[in-house]
Amino acid sequence: MSEPLNKNSEPGEEPRIKLPEAEPRGYFEGESMTRRHVFTVASQAIGGVAALAVVLPVVGFAVAPLFTRGEERWEAVGPVSDFNAETYKQVVFTEITGIGEAGKTTAYIRTGAEKFNEEPNDVIAISTRCAHLGCPVRFVQAAQNFICPCHGGVYDFEGKRLGGPPVRPLDRFQTRVRGGQVEVGPRFSVTNQLKAVRVRDPGEFTGGIWEFLYPPRPSTFPPPSN
Amino acid sequence: MSLLKRKKKDESPEGSGEAEAVAKPTKGERMGQAKDLSVHHGTQGAIDVAGWVDSRVNATGIFTAMMSRHVPKGTNWFYTLGSATMFIFAMQAITGVFLSMYYTPSATQAYASITHLTNDVFMGEFVRGMHKWGASLMIILIFLHMARTFFFGAYKYPRELNWVIGVVLLILTTVMGLTGYLLPFDQRSFWATIVANNITASGPVVGPYLADFLRAGPDFSATTLSRFYALHMMVVPGLMAALIGAHLFFVVKLGTTAPPWVRAPRPKGARPSESVTAGVASEDLEEVPVNGAAAAAVTEADPPVDEANAAEAEAVEATEAEETESATATEEPAAEAATEEAEEEPPTDGEVSS
Ligand code: HEM
Ligand code: FES
Repeated sequence: MSEPLNKNSEPGEEPRIKLPEAEPRGYFEGESMTRRHVFTVASQAIGGVAALAVVLPVVGFAVAPLFTRGEERWEAVGPVSDFNAETYKQVVFTEITGIGEAGKTTAYIRTGAEKFNEEPNDVIAISTRCAHLGCPVRFVQAAQNFICPCHGGVYDFEGKRLGGPPVRPLDRFQTRVRGGQVEVGPRFSVTNQLKAVRVRDPGEFTGGIWEFLYPPRPSTFPPPSN
Repeated sequence: MSLLKRKKKDESPEGSGEAEAVAKPTKGERMGQAKDLSVHHGTQGAIDVAGWVDSRVNATGIFTAMMSRHVPKGTNWFYTLGSATMFIFAMQAITGVFLSMYYTPSATQAYASITHLTNDVFMGEFVRGMHKWGASLMIILIFLHMARTFFFGAYKYPRELNWVIGVVLLILTTVMGLTGYLLPFDQRSFWATIVANNITASGPVVGPYLADFLRAGPDFSATTLSRFYALHMMVVPGLMAALIGAHLFFVVKLGTTAPPWVRAPRPKGARPSESVTAGVASEDLEEVPVNGAAAAAVTEADPPVDEANAAEAEAVEATEAEETESATATEEPAAEAATEEAEEEPPTDGEVSS
């Protein structure tokens, strides 16, 4: 053997060493996955899993409040005899706990009036949060209207919008009477016809086609049935 | 280089012609390995450490690429607005970190901690004032910088991505303003945040959910403050630092744009009238670059002005360009002379470090 075995043909010549035929034919050329490809895909997949293992819990953690509904809170604000159907009485109570003074809010309370087709033992609690951007509105006796100091929103005695930028009536709070005491509960929003709906943030419509721009949030309480 | 040369001279007591032979540092020297440890002390040691680090991370290379890159002719003070914004960002980061040493992000304690910081802590009012005024200043500067890049047409190919990154930075800067405003937790910041959240909520479809995310619930709560604090302290500054890095990378990689009134040079042999555009003085047309790369090419290709060249030059060309070039031409020999002089004298440690 003068020729080294591994010296193969010059270009154009018949190969001196014949490789065995691939079996099945085309096995080498036609491979759909090379070893390198397998490892690339596998290491990227493992990296992806590792990244998701960190990102998913963290994102879930930050986003969880969107799907969590807090405890329903009821607070007594005074005996029923304090309130009448003719005018509002202002009460202050804690809507959100844990933030001190900032968690307090003001509501205007009266009992049901016949001229509005309400039962005399209904208690109506109107929120002072303006339906425009949330400034505190004030009930003005002389005008018998709620007036907002920020951008001139005006609401009538029932809290329906009369003028200015607000897009819906004032919100209300659920009420009940326990042991002669009026208690105030979760907030809800109303349509222009005063039908109770799930609470919306200020600036969001509760009626018409615009309503569909503001889908209900799972973090809010369902409205009282009426 | 010259530092290494001097060091060598210092080591050989005779100070003879040997100095020439060692002009180039050996590989060991470049890697920061001292030949004779006993002579290394003080600043010399610091230089060796710097060299050791540099040979591993190429800090000088990066520094040179950032600071000694070619800029187009006509570069002016408006080009400093981006750096000014960046300076304020750094200032906000530093003062913010120090404010956080006294601040308590709790709904019941935040206001008291801010009052304490402002009234009782040494320089507290000053540092808080820097952070507060800096916030407004940064908004002003970022808009001015944006206006500069807009009016100079710097957003065009190939710098669109830098514009997009810039817009994200602008949004994040306003997010910093919004989240920071709540932190003092006084009446103003509380109601401002309520209103801002309500505006967010009034956005169609995603608005209500975005507001829930910001508030961490359907109403403003104790968690809202912690959330704003985390966004203000960590999430947004981190994102901004990363994006500013990308922004600068593109500035260095692509070079900056020449002002719109600086034109490409007239092609050789063209008559002056051919390249005159309406409203532009003909002197302005001589120069130059459309972008940084072109600027580099032009500056490097131009030989230093000599008499023959000057004679050739047309009268209109005797403007800024020559001024700059002749300035460099005269400066260079002077600089060289200075270096030679320094080599003659036996250096002291103080000189080495300067
Ligand atoms: C945190 C905010 C920002 C920082 C720290 C910053 C920093 C810088 C710096 C240092 C430069 C170098 C050139 C110069 O200063 O003009 C630059 C260039 C540039 N910036 Fe910004 N920038 C910021 C925001 C923005 C914004 C809001 C925009 C526009 C939407 C923008 C668009 C650009 C563009 C297009 C360039 C390239 C300029 C050119 O090629 O001449 N940047 N930026
Ligand atoms: S917040 Fe009441 S009118 Fe704007």
